[in-house]
Amino acid sequence: MKKKVMVAMSGGVDSSVALLRVLDMGHDAFGVTMKLWDYQTSGGNVARENSCCSVDEINGAKLVCDRMGVPHYTIDFSQIFRETVMDDFASEYLAGRTPNPCVRCNSFVKWDAFIKQADILGADLIATGHYARIEYRQNIPVLKKGLDPLKDQAYVLWGIPRDSMTRTILPLGDLTKIQVRKIAADHHLATAQTPESMEICFIADNNYKRFLQDFVPDKFNSIGTGNIVEDDRVVGAHPGYAGYTIGQRKGLGLSNPEPRYVQKIDPETNTIFVSKKGALSSATCKVSAINWLVDLPDFPKKAQVQIRYNSQPVDAELEILPTNELQVQFLEAQLAVTPGQSIVFYDENEPDIVLGGGIIER
Amino acid sequence: MGVNFAHRPAMKNIYCDISATTPLSPEVNEFIFKIQSTVFGNPSSIHRFGQEAKAVIEHARRQISKAINCSPGEIYFTGCGSESNNLVLHSLLKPGDHLITSTYEHPAVKKPASTLESAGVNVSRIPPDKDGRISPSNVEHALKPETRLVSIMMVNNEIGSVNDVVSIGEICKSKGILFHTDGVQGLGKIPVDLAALPIDLMSMSAHKLYGPKGVGALFVRRGVPITSILQGGGQEKNLRPGTENIAGIAGFGLAAQLAVETLEKSSTHLKNITQIFLTSLTEENIRFSVNGSHQIPGVLNIYFPGIEAQSLVIRMDMAGIAISAGAACSSGTAKPAGALLDMGFDIDRASTSVRISFGKFHTVEDVITVAEELGKIITPLQKDPLQ
Repeated sequence: MKKKVMVAMSGGVDSSVALLRVLDMGHDAFGVTMKLWDYQTSGGNVARENSCCSVDEINGAKLVCDRMGVPHYTIDFSQIFRETVMDDFASEYLAGRTPNPCVRCNSFVKWDAFIKQADILGADLIATGHYARIEYRQNIPVLKKGLDPLKDQAYVLWGIPRDSMTRTILPLGDLTKIQVRKIAADHHLATAQTPESMEICFIADNNYKRFLQDFVPDKFNSIGTGNIVEDDRVVGAHPGYAGYTIGQRKGLGLSNPEPRYVQKIDPETNTIFVSKKGALSSATCKVSAINWLVDLPDFPKKAQVQIRYNSQPVDAELEILPTNELQVQFLEAQLAVTPGQSIVFYDENEPDIVLGGGIIER
Repeated sequence: MGVNFAHRPAMKNIYCDISATTPLSPEVNEFIFKIQSTVFGNPSSIHRFGQEAKAVIEHARRQISKAINCSPGEIYFTGCGSESNNLVLHSLLKPGDHLITSTYEHPAVKKPASTLESAGVNVSRIPPDKDGRISPSNVEHALKPETRLVSIMMVNNEIGSVNDVVSIGEICKSKGILFHTDGVQGLGKIPVDLAALPIDLMSMSAHKLYGPKGVGALFVRRGVPITSILQGGGQEKNLRPGTENIAGIAGFGLAAQLAVETLEKSSTHLKNITQIFLTSLTEENIRFSVNGSHQIPGVLNIYFPGIEAQSLVIRMDMAGIAISAGAACSSGTAKPAGALLDMGFDIDRASTSVRISFGKFHTVEDVITVAEELGKIITPLQKDPLQ
């Protein structure tokens, strides 16, 4: 049945093709670009402003929508983006953790706030250019990985509200990036050759320390130098813990024949603990802020788990704790399990299906 | 590939954003086309092609000077109203000077004022009163011995309120201070008689009076010591170098002439349909309140409790009706009208108010349709006590 669909348009090739596919499905569509931030609030090199939310990208999205004969609107979501994504990003780093802002943006802005906006504008459904799929099993939606293993984005979607899946179309889930680019080229879309955006959108210069310095200058500057410690022994100094992440090897200024890695960050004492690679492994981790995209399973629950965006899922067992957190037992110990990062659970038998996810605590 | 007009679904499409820009008058459109296709010479050239182009510009200059009752030599063509504003501020103010302006000027005055402030110009900014107007006595109180220029807009772009440029100008004149007014929103909407008005400089733009975009003008009263901020050829008596936009200037001249010739008739018509519109809003059981007073005919800034301005603008657009939230901006996002905050309204009211501006081509049926569409969207939301 013909629906009114609000398509999230970043101005890139993916969202352009998503719009095209929504129209091909016979729906009535309109494009919305979310203005999430600008350089006045997040700093960086204006001349390099080439990621989403720049005026150039918004202009590109407007042109694509015009070519397809649908309206386009730019809607300011910068307040909720700042509150739920940028503030959290800064406070997580200041807590010695490594946040995943894209996950929070999807959960709070691109789904929750965007669907509320769709309600206000009278849209039945929303669509985005994410590489993931929503399939129905006995009329119940499940989130699945995108077909293109190189582009799959299911990992960053674990936090979307479960009930929003019935309101969502993901038109690119069954395509590869190469196919998407070909469709864009075949339709002479102006965005066919837009480059991949890899960096965090509000840190277009990819320098998160510079961002923290601009965004929370007082807190960032008050950190000062601290010790690098190995086996209870001070082995060096660092210019501030917020510049480090678990598993990091570069930037420690140590000259051991065998490389050392950041094993633990203690913001209280401004200490970076380092170790050899072998001591970086953890057999378990605790998980908070859990969101299930399926009915609550029985525990203990066997699952495949993915602990960072660019790693492969591994076998594990989940156990629920009295605190409503989860205890994850990896079948094989994992390197650099990083507090603040997302952990995503997939079905053990059908590993394309996302069961849910949470935030790694320790 | 041309611009795609074909795919937009056909619908009624009522354009009520006259304060943002106007469509071209058919006569102006025809005239521009005629000039564009026949006159191509460089007006600075000696030969007949140049002479012909020069004549087009000088004719337009006379049309505009007649429309505002000044001498043709006091009109300088520029690229747009923003350029005229920038030219005035940057040319006349130097470090140590004092500028009096308002908090709700167009960015083309506000931003140069801030830039000049960082360079050492002393700036006083007067907020509008609750009626949306700048009080002349507040201007008087802000005067200092080193005040060089007062720049207060003739008509505010967000509210439509008309400032008392006579009183403000008289205050300046009595102290020998230059008075500039951004007249972009006023020209063609209210009578402007520069032989009588105590105005030294006035910025103008063609696209607000059914003329083309990309052409503006500046009135400079004879004797005002303005100099160019651009260097180039000697066009516009050295004030604005660059080969002239002949067809645009021609269109501006005709548009100004037509606007003034039909001013009385269109004012009466606009006052009439505005009244019908307000009555229709009441008949639709919409709760609303008009922000400010002393508006130019046809322009309304209205508070509709219960729906955010940005969402209302989008839903109206989906219904084929163009209105505006705040002023247009480059990225197309709506910012709450700063003017409303300056007038003392809270952020909630400022972000729940829209601007609806009618033009000479609107009919009674049009404004009733607009009220009905507003009713369809707003009335259900206002019934909900949670909203």
